[in-house]
Amino acid sequence: MRALREVLRDWEAVIGLEIHTELTSLETKMFCGCRISHDDEPNTNVCPVCLGLPGALPVPNEKAIEYIVMAGLATNCDVMKRSMFYRKHYFYPDMAKNFQTTQGPVAFVMHGHLDLEVSGEGADERPDGTITKAADGSYVLPVKILRIHMEEDAAKMVHVGGAEGRIGGARESLIDYNRCGTPLIELVTEPDLRTPEEARLFMEKLRQVFLALGISDCSLERGSMRCDGNVSLRRRGSSEMGTKTEMKNINSFKALHDALAYEICRQAEVLEGGGRVLQETRHWEPSRRKTVVMRVKERNDDYRFFPDPDLMPFDLSDEFVERCRRRLPELPDARRDRYVATWGLRCREAELLAADPQAASLFEDVMGVAEPAEAQVVANVMVNLVPSYGSLGVGQIAGIARLLAADDITFVQAREVLDALDGTDDDPEEVVEALGMRQSADSLSLVVDEVLGRCEDQVRQYRSGNRKVVGYLVGQCMKASAGAGNPKLFNQLLLERLEG
Amino acid sequence: MTVSLDALSARQIAAGVAAGSFSATEVARAALDAIGHREDDVQAFVQVTEELAYDAAARIDARRAAGEPLPPLAGVPVAFKDNMNLVGTRTTCASHMLAGYESVYTATCVRRMLDAGAIPLGKLNMDEFAFGSTTDSSAFHPTNNPWDLARVPGGSSGGSAAAVSAGEVTISLGSDTGGSIRQPASLCGVVGMKPTYGMVSRYGVVAFGSSLDQVGPFGRRVEDVALAMNALVAGGRDPHDATSQSCEQDFLVHLDDGVEGCVVGVIPALLEADGVTSEVRMALREAARKLEGAGARIVEVDLPNMASAIAAYYVLGPCEAFSNLARFDGVRYGYREDGCSTLAGQSALSRAHGFGAEAKRRQLLGAHLLSSELYERYYLSAQKVRTLITADYRHAFEVVDAILMPTSPTVAWEHGTISDPAQLYLADVFTISNNIAGNCGISVPVCLGADSGLPIGAQLQGPAFGDARLLTIARALERACDQAGVVAPACAGRGGELS
Repeated sequence: MRALREVLRDWEAVIGLEIHTELTSLETKMFCGCRISHDDEPNTNVCPVCLGLPGALPVPNEKAIEYIVMAGLATNCDVMKRSMFYRKHYFYPDMAKNFQTTQGPVAFVMHGHLDLEVSGEGADERPDGTITKAADGSYVLPVKILRIHMEEDAAKMVHVGGAEGRIGGARESLIDYNRCGTPLIELVTEPDLRTPEEARLFMEKLRQVFLALGISDCSLERGSMRCDGNVSLRRRGSSEMGTKTEMKNINSFKALHDALAYEICRQAEVLEGGGRVLQETRHWEPSRRKTVVMRVKERNDDYRFFPDPDLMPFDLSDEFVERCRRRLPELPDARRDRYVATWGLRCREAELLAADPQAASLFEDVMGVAEPAEAQVVANVMVNLVPSYGSLGVGQIAGIARLLAADDITFVQAREVLDALDGTDDDPEEVVEALGMRQSADSLSLVVDEVLGRCEDQVRQYRSGNRKVVGYLVGQCMKASAGAGNPKLFNQLLLERLEG
Repeated sequence: MTVSLDALSARQIAAGVAAGSFSATEVARAALDAIGHREDDVQAFVQVTEELAYDAAARIDARRAAGEPLPPLAGVPVAFKDNMNLVGTRTTCASHMLAGYESVYTATCVRRMLDAGAIPLGKLNMDEFAFGSTTDSSAFHPTNNPWDLARVPGGSSGGSAAAVSAGEVTISLGSDTGGSIRQPASLCGVVGMKPTYGMVSRYGVVAFGSSLDQVGPFGRRVEDVALAMNALVAGGRDPHDATSQSCEQDFLVHLDDGVEGCVVGVIPALLEADGVTSEVRMALREAARKLEGAGARIVEVDLPNMASAIAAYYVLGPCEAFSNLARFDGVRYGYREDGCSTLAGQSALSRAHGFGAEAKRRQLLGAHLLSSELYERYYLSAQKVRTLITADYRHAFEVVDAILMPTSPTVAWEHGTISDPAQLYLADVFTISNNIAGNCGISVPVCLGADSGLPIGAQLQGPAFGDARLLTIARALERACDQAGVVAPACAGRGGELS
């Protein structure tokens, strides 16, 4: 198969995503009062409603509707004045009623968009000339969102004794209804994405938004956020849609990228060989780094959709929508911009901090006690050091940043200090003293003298005009101090000696 | 002196228990005695719950002994259609599919009757999953009309009507999707009420057509039905039923206010319709005259789209039934075909052998009508008809307080004499539009047929949430016709004595 970038020069990939997110932050299921907890003993969080017993009726979870409206507002969707639940019928034991309660043509929220900022290496997947790029190759892509609708999750099935855990050939099948009825929101994008990187970024950005909203833990590993990707190819310049395939079982950002990349190259090979792409559902196998066919869709299934007569249509009041709007927290993009504007952070650190609600909140706490001028150092510490440690206090992080900003310790030493601090209430200043790390001109001078003494060649070169050689000498000082010296101070001392 | 339960109203039983004239346990024993003497003939029950009855009675007696105030239906014998869950009973819907299904929770309507002090005597026969108007489609046995055992009691709540008519219980509950309370009430000579949609919780009642189903009471007096209605709405809206509304009220307050100043509508053309027998026509004309004599003003009204109601009903009902009955696949509970090698095969054969013919006919029809290529043509058209019929009623009720019409075009017919399902569907013509519009309706016995000597009921329909007014008018009609409290002659006096 040809490489992705090469393929994308000849073919345009049309990609759409369907992203399911379980509202794990809710306490109870979508239509009954059962607790949402998948890790409990199987079939313990169940009741007549989620087991589909005769006579049971659904009662909608208002909090879940609040969450989906918040998700819609955060992704620039319109909140629909009236929407309904529908029944989608299929016979399979993971859905106790043999129908899934979902939404019909009108979802709670529709017609939104998220803007992606694509930069770095990933931006190169998009061939030049197919979008306006900035001088550094980055570009902005608005991605339209068709709808976000509400539905209930199915039960978990385990097939025992068959091949690959599939139902065919299994000796017995076990069903755990703990998950059955968990509220799911499904976001469907328009097919606006053109590269695997764009798809990956969209999902990442959506995850950040949902995390900021606090509606789900958005764990791809545990399956509380799941993504299906559709992709078809067409010749550059053509406006016809090709036959699409659908990719399932994507449980990481990398898998989403790689599955789409593989599928684009595979389809290109089929088409270039004069073949025909079949409309099929494929399964991404990370270990084999390829997609395999799950089933071929010969015709569209008839789910016999009709409005659920047990649930009244929803007429969301303006007050309800306003209440949801007031509950919206600051979203990652706005937060990033604020960090840049308030503290002059570099974009990269501002974005990384803003993307993670916990990191952002800790950062802001630290900035409550740190000097504004030290903000970038605090951000560096937060992004590069803090994530490796279990529990560091606000004061400790501020203290480390202060020591770094004052050049009292180096980044390498900072790690040592943090190792000592982690899990204690100790003061970083005292730890630095105890470890004897504080940089002083006296202690560093000894190193500088030793290095200058054995590097006569380089000293001569400097004096004859080769200023660049200082870098080498700083390196030697760092080596001699086993990384404990501050390169800036070494540089300063070296210059003093050389010029003096 | 001995008293027979046959002669007592629900209010008299509760008062007697409260006064200590007899104990709830004695009432339970008398009711079981009546059932023992009459049930061989009538076969209204699919399960008699002797133990539950004595337990409930003992609790009432203990409360009285402790000096506690007693609830309004204390000691009143009741029984429930077998599509209503009650812990300690099987809930079978008279189907092989659920023949061994034990309830794991209790329906709200049942719970409320028990909370009001009623004594549960058992579960009552019905057409399988409530599909039918004869009770002959029960998978277990037919039920016989207490007035003539060779005849059907009507359906689908045939057991509920027959048990009250035979004097086996004082009050029973049924469910009405297209006439399943009112029609058997008419055929068995008792009062049967279908309340406004949303008034009584459906939670725990096995669904047939969710947008049409409504639970309601049977009694031999309008007053008994009103007392049961009080119990059913007590506690307000049921949080387990998203379509239920808060309707707590006392239906007895205005029950005897009479019809002075009331306006009752009639639709003369309906009486001339095909299939309406002359004795029914005469009985309804007489009922109108009697209401007029009691002070009501009779005016003519029109429901121009009523003729389309049956067509709309036989689209909406089967569509909802297909969906509601999809869960019965033998995987988790209910009838399961053994020895199948695949899941699909097991579900298909369990359904093929677990359901009877009419249940399969309705589900297949629903599955067909809901298919994506037909959905718009049938389901959406039926919904439009529904909107039109609802508007017709709204216009009519701007002018009248209630509309008087037959409940059934004929009196009870003999078992097995109508085998064409379409002919049975057409007999629902007077009851269905009421469910389509979600209004309230009641059937009140007005006389015995001039030709047949069998009971004829008149139906009164009222606007949504006009249930209290409807009961007042029904009570006036009952008084004018002097039909209150009648036990079918073939059963009356056989057992049921309170010592």
